Amino acid sequence: MDDMPAIRASGIRKRFGELEVLRGVSFDVRRGSVVSMIGASGSGKSTLLRCINRLEAPTEGEVYIDGVPMGFVEDRGGRRRARSLAEINRLRRDLGMVFQQFNLWPHMTALGNVIEAPMRVRGLPRAEAVALGEAALEQVRLAEKRDAYPAHLSGGQQQRVAIARALAMQPKAMLFDEATSSLDPELTEEVLAVMRDLAQRGTTMIVVTHEMRFAREVSDEVMFLHDGVIEESGPPGQVFGAPRSERCRQFLSKFIGQAR
Amino acid sequence: MFSDALRESVDLSLFWDYREVMLSGLAFNFHVFAASATAAIALGLGAALLRVAQALPFRVLGTLHVETFRNAPDYIMLVWVHFVLPLLLGAALGTRIEFHPFASAVIALGLVYSGYYAETFRAGIQSIPRGHLEAGRACGMSERQILWRIVMPQVVRRMLPEGLNQLVSLFKATTIVSLITVPDLMYRVSMVTATEMKPLPLYTGAALLYFAVVFAAASLVRLASERWRRRILA
Amino acid sequence: MGNWERLVWNQREVLLEGFLVTLHVCALAFAAAILGGLALCLLRMHVRPLRPLATLLIEFFRATPIFVQLMWVNYVWPELFGWPNSFFTAGWVALALQSSGYLAETFRAGIEAVPRGQREAGEAVGMGPALVMARIVLPQVALTTAPAIVNQFTVIVKSSTLVSVITVQDLMFQSQKLVNVWYEPIEILTATAAIYIAFVFAVSACGKRLSDALRRRFGIGSG
Repeated sequence: MDDMPAIRASGIRKRFGELEVLRGVSFDVRRGSVVSMIGASGSGKSTLLRCINRLEAPTEGEVYIDGVPMGFVEDRGGRRRARSLAEINRLRRDLGMVFQQFNLWPHMTALGNVIEAPMRVRGLPRAEAVALGEAALEQVRLAEKRDAYPAHLSGGQQQRVAIARALAMQPKAMLFDEATSSLDPELTEEVLAVMRDLAQRGTTMIVVTHEMRFAREVSDEVMFLHDGVIEESGPPGQVFGAPRSERCRQFLSKFIGQAR
Repeated sequence: MFSDALRESVDLSLFWDYREVMLSGLAFNFHVFAASATAAIALGLGAALLRVAQALPFRVLGTLHVETFRNAPDYIMLVWVHFVLPLLLGAALGTRIEFHPFASAVIALGLVYSGYYAETFRAGIQSIPRGHLEAGRACGMSERQILWRIVMPQVVRRMLPEGLNQLVSLFKATTIVSLITVPDLMYRVSMVTATEMKPLPLYTGAALLYFAVVFAAASLVRLASERWRRRILA
Repeated sequence: MGNWERLVWNQREVLLEGFLVTLHVCALAFAAAILGGLALCLLRMHVRPLRPLATLLIEFFRATPIFVQLMWVNYVWPELFGWPNSFFTAGWVALALQSSGYLAETFRAGIEAVPRGQREAGEAVGMGPALVMARIVLPQVALTTAPAIVNQFTVIVKSSTLVSVITVQDLMFQSQKLVNVWYEPIEILTATAAIYIAFVFAVSACGKRLSDALRRRFGIGSG
C-alpha cells in the first residue's frame, strides 16, 4: 500500500480535433512529494494537469488516484464501464486545483468561497465548514480577510484564497496550474511562500510553473514537457544542472540567472 | 369549440379580404415612423450637444430634456401633446389651436425618442478620447470643424447599432397612434372588427403582419451591426 | 392655481387608487416576466428538443409591438384558450409576455458572460452541473443582470399605461376619466404625466445606484 503512488498517469493522450496536444504521457507522483512541470507554452503541461482531474477527458490513457482509476470502474467480472459524471465529481474532491486566473467566485466572500464546497459537496454542517475554512485561511495567512469580497483583494491575496478553497476540501494532492503567471512580480512571492509552506508540510503537489527557482528549490522531481511528451525528467539538480536533452537545455538557457 | 376557434384564427381570409385597407393602414405607420424618427434624431442630437456643453445652463436644459422624455410613457405623451399642448400654445398666442392627429403623433413620438437618442449620442460623443480633439486643435482646426470632421463621424459609427435598434422600437411604438385616431393598421383593425364582429382573425393577422415587419427589420439591424462591428474593429 | 387644487389635489384619492392599480398590474407582470424569461432562457439553452419553440416565442414576444400584443391577448386569447377571463388579467399577461422575451435574452447574455473558469473552479471541487448552476452561475447572473432587470421594470411601467385602453382602471384610466368629467385636460394630464415621469425616473435612479453598488462591492457588472 505504501509504495502505491498518490497519482499515477498512464499513457495519457489528448486530441483536440486534428491537434494532438498530449502524445502518451506516463509518470508517478509519490505521496508527499512535489513534482514540477516545466516547458514552453503549448507544450501541453496545462492540458496534462486538466486531464489529471478530468476538467478535460483524456482521449486515451488513465489517471489513478491512490490506485483508483478516475475514468472507469471494473465490476467483479473484470468488465470496465465509464464512470458517471457524479462519480468523477466524487473523485475530484481528492484533488485540489489552483488556477492561473484564480477563478474566485465574485459573489461570495473569501470565507464563503472556502466553505462552499465543504458544505454543499461534502455536506458538512456550517459550523464545521467554517472552522475548516478559517483554518485554511489561516494557513494562507489571510484569516483577517475572511469577510472581504474578491473584488477588494489583491491578485496575490485572491490566489491565496483560491489555495485555501482547495485546501478546505482536505484533498490528497494539490494541482497548481501556473498559479503565479498572472500576478505582478511583487505579488508572486507571497503565493510562492504559501506553496513552499505546503510542500514543507508534506503535501503532495503537482506544480505547472514558469518559476524556475521555485521548481529547483522545492521540487522532488522536475519534468520537462515538449510537444506533448515528457522530454526529460529527474531530480531538480539533474534537470537544471545537467540536462541530457538539447531542447531542455535550450529552454532552460532562457531562464539563466533565475534558476542557476 | 377550441378547434373551431383555432381554425378561425389560422384562417386569415377575413384579414386578407381587407388587405388593401390594412396595407394602407400600415403605410400610415411608416409615415408616422419616418417623420418622428427624423424629429427624434435631430432633437436628440441637439439635446446631446446641450448636455456636453461647457455652460451650466445648457447642461441643465439638456439633462431636463433627456430625463423628462426618456422617462415618459409614449401613451401619456401622445395624449398630452394632442390634448394639452394645443391649449397651452393657444393660450400663449391668443388663438385657438388644434393639432391634426398625425402631427400630434409625430411630435409625441419624436419627443420621447429624442430622449433616448440624446443618451445614445452623448455616450458616443463622450467615448471619443480627448486626444482626438487636441490633435484637431493642434492642426489648427476650428471647434466646428472638429465637431463635424472628427467627432461626428466616430459618434455615428459607435452609435449605429444602438441607434438602429431604437428605430425598430420607434416603429413598434407607432402602433399606439390609433388611440388618437391616426388611421394606422391597428385603427383599421378595430374599425373592421366593429363591423365584422370577428376580432380573432383580424387581430391575429395584424399581430403576424407587425411581427413580420419588425422581425425582418430587427434581423437586418442585427446583421448590419455585426458586419459594421467587424469592419470598424478589424 | 385654483384649477390645480380643484382638478388634481382634490382628486388625489382617485388618482392614488389608479396608481395602486398601476403598481399591481406592473408587479404581477414583472414577477411573471422574470419567471417566464428564466424558463424561456433555460429551455432555449439547455433543452434541445424545445429550443426552436422557445426561440420562436422569444422572437415573437420581442418583435410584436406591446399594444398589438395587448389587443391580441385581450380579444383573441379568450376565444382561443378560454382565458384570460378579465381585462385585468389580460393586461398584466400581455405586459409579462413582452418582457419575458426581453428578459430571456438578458439572462442568456448573463449566463454566457460567466467566465468558463468560474464553472471549472466548481467542477474542480466536485460540484455537479446542477450545483454549479444554482450556486455559481445563477447568483452571478442575478447580480450582473440586476440593473437590466430593473430597467425592464421601467419598460413595464411605461407600457402599463396602455392597459387603460382595455378599461383596466389604472392611473391613466382614472386620469382620462377625470378629463372626460371636467373637460379640462391641462392640469390633470400634466399631473399624470409628471407622476409617471417621476416614478420611472425614481426607479431608474434606483437601478443606477444598484449597479454602482454591485460594481463597488463585487467588481462585476458593466457601466
